[in-house]
Amino acid sequence: MARPPPNPLYILRGSGDVVNTLHFCCDGQGPSLLYSGSGSGAIHVWNLTTRRPERVLESHSGNSVIWLQALKESSTLISQGRDMRMCVWDLSEGRGAVTDALFTGSVGFCQCSLLETQPGSTLLAHPTEHMEEVSVVEMKSWTQVCTLKPDLKLGMLMCMKMWQAESGPVLCAGYEDGSVILYDVSHRRLFSCLKAHTEPVMCLDVDVCRQKGVSGSSDNILQSWTIDDQRNLQMHGSVQLTNPGVSSARVRADGKILATAGWDNNVRVFGWKKLKPLAVLQHHTDMVNSVAFSDHQDPPQRLLAAASKDQRITVWSIYSES
Amino acid sequence: ASAGSKVPVRLQAGSCLRTLSTSRDPREIANSLSTLTRFLENGEFTRLHYTHTLQALVSARSCQWFSSSSDDDEVRRPWHEFVFTGPPDQTLLVLLDTISSTDECAGLDRCVSVLEKFLSVGRLEALLWSRCKVGGVCSDSSQLTETVVGHLAALPSITSNRLHTKTPDAFLPQQYYPLLATNILCMLEKTCQALRDGQDCSLGFVAQLLGKVCMQGYSSFIFETLVPRLSSLTRTDPLWQRVIQKLLEKIPERCMESVITGLIFNLRGAAAVSRLMGNLVVTNKKAQFVLTYKLVLQQYQHPTRLLKSLLGYLALNAERRPLLKQVLQSVCQVWCNSSAIKHTCVEQQLYVSKALLLCVALLNLSEIEELREEMLQCMLGGVQCRLDSNIERIRRMGMVVGECLSHRLDMPGSQLKFKYEPDEEIIELKSLMESIPTKDSEESEPEHQSDDTSRLQPESETSLTQSVTSQSGRDSDSELDSDDDLTPYDMSADQEKKKSAPPRYVRDCLEALMSSNDAERVELSLQAAEGLLRKNVKATQEVSVQFCKVLLHLDDRYNTEGFQVLRQNAMVALTVTDTKPVVEYLTTEFYSLNYSLRQRLDVLEVLALSAQELSEPITNKHTGAQPIAAVAARDQSDDITHWRQIVETRIQSKTRRISKSATQMVKAVPNRYASVAGSFIFPLLRNYDRSQVTFDLLGTDHLVLGRLLHTLGLLMHLAVNAPVASQMGRALLDFVWAVRFHTDQMVRRGVMFAVCAVFLSMPSDTLLTDLSDDLMETRAWLADVAENDCDTDCRSLAVQGLILLDKNLTTQLQLPDVET
Repeated sequence: MARPPPNPLYILRGSGDVVNTLHFCCDGQGPSLLYSGSGSGAIHVWNLTTRRPERVLESHSGNSVIWLQALKESSTLISQGRDMRMCVWDLSEGRGAVTDALFTGSVGFCQCSLLETQPGSTLLAHPTEHMEEVSVVEMKSWTQVCTLKPDLKLGMLMCMKMWQAESGPVLCAGYEDGSVILYDVSHRRLFSCLKAHTEPVMCLDVDVCRQKGVSGSSDNILQSWTIDDQRNLQMHGSVQLTNPGVSSARVRADGKILATAGWDNNVRVFGWKKLKPLAVLQHHTDMVNSVAFSDHQDPPQRLLAAASKDQRITVWSIYSES
Repeated sequence: ASAGSKVPVRLQAGSCLRTLSTSRDPREIANSLSTLTRFLENGEFTRLHYTHTLQALVSARSCQWFSSSSDDDEVRRPWHEFVFTGPPDQTLLVLLDTISSTDECAGLDRCVSVLEKFLSVGRLEALLWSRCKVGGVCSDSSQLTETVVGHLAALPSITSNRLHTKTPDAFLPQQYYPLLATNILCMLEKTCQALRDGQDCSLGFVAQLLGKVCMQGYSSFIFETLVPRLSSLTRTDPLWQRVIQKLLEKIPERCMESVITGLIFNLRGAAAVSRLMGNLVVTNKKAQFVLTYKLVLQQYQHPTRLLKSLLGYLALNAERRPLLKQVLQSVCQVWCNSSAIKHTCVEQQLYVSKALLLCVALLNLSEIEELREEMLQCMLGGVQCRLDSNIERIRRMGMVVGECLSHRLDMPGSQLKFKYEPDEEIIELKSLMESIPTKDSEESEPEHQSDDTSRLQPESETSLTQSVTSQSGRDSDSELDSDDDLTPYDMSADQEKKKSAPPRYVRDCLEALMSSNDAERVELSLQAAEGLLRKNVKATQEVSVQFCKVLLHLDDRYNTEGFQVLRQNAMVALTVTDTKPVVEYLTTEFYSLNYSLRQRLDVLEVLALSAQELSEPITNKHTGAQPIAAVAARDQSDDITHWRQIVETRIQSKTRRISKSATQMVKAVPNRYASVAGSFIFPLLRNYDRSQVTFDLLGTDHLVLGRLLHTLGLLMHLAVNAPVASQMGRALLDFVWAVRFHTDQMVRRGVMFAVCAVFLSMPSDTLLTDLSDDLMETRAWLADVAENDCDTDCRSLAVQGLILLDKNLTTQLQLPDVET
């Protein structure tokens, strides 16, 4: 008989609204932190040692926060809200002020992607007022590096991820008609296009080391694909879910497991190599919006956090023994 | 010279005998013995005086000289020579007669040891051979031959009758008959040799002997040794085939059946049967009767293998093929006979079905065309009768055979196709049809296998293991890249999400079941129903009958998983919670118009299950059944009971108990069924003979009648110790009496079950007063069923009933004795 599924390590309550997005910051300097963005525009900074919110930032004039990321070096946080703005926060020494902001004009739900090419130089990919367009900007000056747009009609831009390849920054984007597109950012061209789903791509993540990615959609298929040497996307494997709808998928940094946030209130864990189903974490009573793995240096400390529409964040420790 | 020596032979033999009986000098004895041995060459002595001489020698009176000098080689050698070179048939008869007539003494022991020696030095073969040679001893009277055959065949019985537990192993059937078989083989070999040399031989004696042994039931011992050798000898040598076929022709008619049965049973494959039997079935009337009728239609204990060889044998030769058709015709007739289905046991029907399928499989297309009409009739009639049956095994048998036949008849577009769960029996039946293409290969390499299996098996095993290891090797290659280092958690809780929520109130549930078109809502309501009904007693009582009506009429429109069980559980919950009205409703509906058989059966099942639950003491399992008020009350007084419990446990732990037994007293609880048992049973007994347009309990709907009787039996049994039990029992017995000779076995099983239940549950005194008139008749009826019914279950239930009745009788009859 298989082991019963684990219970959450702890539960973070009190965000006061739907929790949309999560971001860990556990790089060793200072206490381990978890940022969460809620539907009422509040950004909670959770201290994982005390398990209490260290501070709450009111932002985006009460509009929903859909994406959060902290820069590695300085204690800077970037947030994206439904008010069509990006905010840059300075959190050093107890400050909590917006230092900079960018109007994107995007009305969709597509989350941004951040790439720190070298210290001090950071690229940000964000959706624009044109629904299928990606704009890549340099963070310091907000100078636009390029805009990327598919030649075909693929519908709205749904999700994306940018990373640094040998030839330069690469961006992977998922579209409303189920296509996943790989762009070469520096040459502003399209590497390859893959029709991964029949429904809109809701989320994707790429394991840069293994040149392999995964995308979830509003149907019940979780699809993984690989990027070959010629930068072509190829279907790799797929797994059928019991209930349709994946709102977030994350591969752990060690490339062992994959976690997905399901519309059926469950967090699912898969083996990353073959997408073997490993666990179904049942705790939330409403849709799970986001999952995130912590970036602890020490593997056994690595955590999995899930944010749900039921206003709670659950933190799990799973497959972290070895 | 012969006339001159005639007198001396008799006289000399007499004087020798006198010497032997009186003399104590070993030399003298030896001399007389050698003289006697010399006479063996004299035909007259062996024919007329040998028996007397030997009798005199072994008889108890003259034994002392032998026992006193038994270690003397000088005496022993001529004695052995005399006994073991003399005519073997006479020796055997004398020895056996002496053994059976002598009292226990040293003489008996000596006789036994001589007989043992007789068997071990191969005198049996000499005996058989002497009877086989034409112009040998076979000119004897048939009476003597008969005696010899009888003694040879019954040696184990004759000796063990006398010697009881001291019988030597060599005389036991397990050893003697194989020995006899080897001797027969040797003799047959000699016969073949003699025939090659142009001599005539007669096989009549051996045939008689074989027949006699088989008649006595020892065919398996004989044929186990004989048949494998014969089968391999006949494969190469046509002379052997002819000898064996002649031998079988000579078997006396009355022994034919047992010989042939034993032979076919031990032979592997139709080709072997054909080699040994030739066209015996065509030439010999008795053999034909046994093979084409008795073995197929009258007996059914034989393994399928025997049927295969038998029918294959018939199919192998053009002269015998008409017989195969004839067998098929008779089997068809039996198979589609509805009375045969009712009055023969299931095992025999299975056997006949197998025979039918085998026959059909062996026929070729032109023959099938010839018999097409007949087979079609047989198939349609037989399948229909079987589908009517109440016994699932018979129904399935009908379906399988029907499918196979229609497949073979190859009717375009109108092949039968049934839906059933395949089990072992069905797979076996189906395999009978499939085994036909491989038939030829089986024939071309016959029982080599039986000899070579031991050698072949390891090979196949190694190849198997090789393939396994290679497979596992491949697996491990592919496993290198798998996620197997991470063991999955239990994911059984991962189920599809339901859109709507389960109902929380009884009335909601009822409404959903009544009017909802939403499959999911109906399913959830059905799942929630039992729990809701048990938890909310008050609410349930308000709508119980209506709820029951809805459930009874509920169709499985959405193919809900576990529909029947859920529905039944809900109905049971209703019945248990609000017994009186619901039971009244169900029992009236059972006999009313416009219900399907399924619904009526459901009513019966629900009644039985409810009665069972009511009769059980209330356990923790059904805490939900307690009224909600009680639960609330307990909540209020929670802390009080809490401290009381703590004090209680402290006292328990501090108290030292001298006796341990009384700690776990079973608390008596009222039996909830006893008070309402009558309302379960009497309405069901009321209307059984009122035939309606849609429901004819005593006619075609015997399936329901069987279930009804069974349910009544159950209700009766559960009412044991209830005050109303005696009235119930009386009513039930009256009801049962009317249907006890029903033709359907399910109904009869139900009757038997009900009767047993009455005997078990009714107080014995009332049972006897009620039964007093019919007591003897009941007993006779039960005894008759126990003996003659074709259904095994009926028989065993009848025996059970008899035992119960007798037990009741004896307790009742003994009781006054004890009191007085």
